Amino acid sequence: MISVENLSKSFSIKAHKKNAPDQVADPREDGNQFHALKNVSFHCNKGEVLGLLGPNGAGKTTALRILSTALKPDSGKVIVNDVDVIKSPMIAKDKIGFLSGKTGLYGRLTARENIEFFAKLHGVTDHYLKNDAEEIYQSLAIGAYLDRRVEHLSTGMQQKVSIARAVIHKPEVLVLDEPTTGLDIMATEIIMEFIQHMRRQGTAVIFSTHHLDEVALLADRVSVIYQGQSCFEGSIGEFQQQSRELDLRRAFMNILQGANANVASVY
Amino acid sequence: MWQVFIKELIELLRDRKTLFFIIALPMVIFPVVFGVIGYLGAKSAIKEHDKVIRYVLVNGHAAPEFATKLFYHSDFKEALLGFDDEEEIKEAIQGDKVDLVIVIDEAYQQQRIDKQTSKWQVYYSGSSLFGATRHKVDEVFKEFAETLQKQVFAEEGLSEEQFEVFKKPIVYEEIDTANERESFGEQLGGFIPYILIPLCLTGAMYPAIDLGAGEKERGTIETLLLTPVSRLSLVLGKFMCICTTAIMTALITIFSMVFWSFIIGKLFDVQAVSEILAAVGLVEYGLIILLLLPISAIFSATLLAISIYAKSYKEAQNYMGPMSIFVIFPVIVGMTPGISLTYNWAIVPVSNVALAIKELLKGTLDYALLVPLFASTVFFALISIIFCVYWFNKEEVLFR
Repeated sequence: MISVENLSKSFSIKAHKKNAPDQVADPREDGNQFHALKNVSFHCNKGEVLGLLGPNGAGKTTALRILSTALKPDSGKVIVNDVDVIKSPMIAKDKIGFLSGKTGLYGRLTARENIEFFAKLHGVTDHYLKNDAEEIYQSLAIGAYLDRRVEHLSTGMQQKVSIARAVIHKPEVLVLDEPTTGLDIMATEIIMEFIQHMRRQGTAVIFSTHHLDEVALLADRVSVIYQGQSCFEGSIGEFQQQSRELDLRRAFMNILQGANANVASVY
Repeated sequence: MWQVFIKELIELLRDRKTLFFIIALPMVIFPVVFGVIGYLGAKSAIKEHDKVIRYVLVNGHAAPEFATKLFYHSDFKEALLGFDDEEEIKEAIQGDKVDLVIVIDEAYQQQRIDKQTSKWQVYYSGSSLFGATRHKVDEVFKEFAETLQKQVFAEEGLSEEQFEVFKKPIVYEEIDTANERESFGEQLGGFIPYILIPLCLTGAMYPAIDLGAGEKERGTIETLLLTPVSRLSLVLGKFMCICTTAIMTALITIFSMVFWSFIIGKLFDVQAVSEILAAVGLVEYGLIILLLLPISAIFSATLLAISIYAKSYKEAQNYMGPMSIFVIFPVIVGMTPGISLTYNWAIVPVSNVALAIKELLKGTLDYALLVPLFASTVFFALISIIFCVYWFNKEEVLFR
């Protein structure tokens, strides 16, 4: 499982990026500091899918970047199966798989070269690659174009290769940052099936999205971040109950409206 | 680190742009460009040399010997034009109706008798690239003046031998102690680093953009950062790849220059070129490559740091543009006459390598100077690499 506790992260703001005096000030701006996250907490158990929701600029990507060790938080804890991500990032990296809307693949390498490159960086053995990796290739049906350059593959094919790349080292936690953004229906379907497959295999999956239909279909639990703060965490049922709305879109808006008042008082 | 290095290298070698910069440019484009420039230059020079100059002699009757000499000269052809004033002469030359107008002093014959200097006007256009008109006129005047001098000497009862002594009271024999290689090194030695060093920069530039800003733009940098590989290893893997392409570019250029010089030497029977190439030994060629190693490292690390900072290809290209100027200035030092490699120059990065290559080609390098040179260049290379690693570890640089 993965547990995130009181995560805070600030960035220094350059003068030219500050809001103009006539613009409405962002409550997260504090002099030259921008508080991207303030005491954000959530968790995701083994075999569970957590949907991370929030409007643009809420801090979802920052949170996921901290989870995946790309950024260091100012304070707080991220624990992945008893491993502290901040204290032991190298060990934690082997337990995490990451996927985003951008496939993150090298276009001039073949699909196989891409997968094997990342596998080797994760310390995956040649023996595993020769034998067990075939299982992943078969389940994703990418065997036919493994030796073709990625730049010559369709978006859907690339996304499948990207999935294989993300899970080749058998991660215990999977982090997906808006994985379906910009993808067509077919490629989106591949991602959805993949998330369900990973859940069945017992992997903890955290995915950020703007698509509430995906949340309804996949997520066991939901966490909402608004203006750098956690404003809800619970099951889909609890989400609807708290917002007094069955429709997820309206429920989400109600949660944000409630959070807006709280955020103003905190900053 | 090696995994990253090999991956980056495979990717770069599959890229047409990289192949163009590190192989095609030094192997084909440079000889072709130099060849075309040489061909066009030679063609223009021959055309200028063979050009028949159209002339008008004003008051030609005052100096009939001169008029006859010019009339029968194969390089000159009389144009039948008349002028009322100086403006008309200038207009005719500018309008390309005539190339040369000589106005003879009407009192020339009397001036000769009075043993006075006669003042003539010579109008021509000095805008010609090779100045052929001027040279040819000079030649005719020189011959004519010599004939006149001989006549005066004969009238005074002096022999031709005495005239020769009067004309050249001292004759000196030139003995140049610099051998052909030294002369070549002085003239062209500064030019070679002017090609080699910027090529190391261009060889590193494209891969640096691709491996830094390119990764950011394609979104692959985040995936790479999530692997359990230290950022030091990631930077070193990328740095080594960029450095390899920079050195490869320089190596291919050296090979290309030697190859084409050899071909030119053999095909056109330019023995000096073949001799000079043979005189520069393998050790010297090896040293040139060795000198380019730390300088390529400086370029690679600096360019990678710039590229990592940039958000996109375009931004990286904008930042890297001024780098060429920073590199060209110190290289020009190597081409400046009178500057040679000293202990002070040996510690100035880039300039030291340019000067050392020049001295190596001349065969006059003081090998002791290589110690401060390598110490300085390696020091600056290490500083650049350390800065690059530090830069790569900064969140505000990676996630701008």
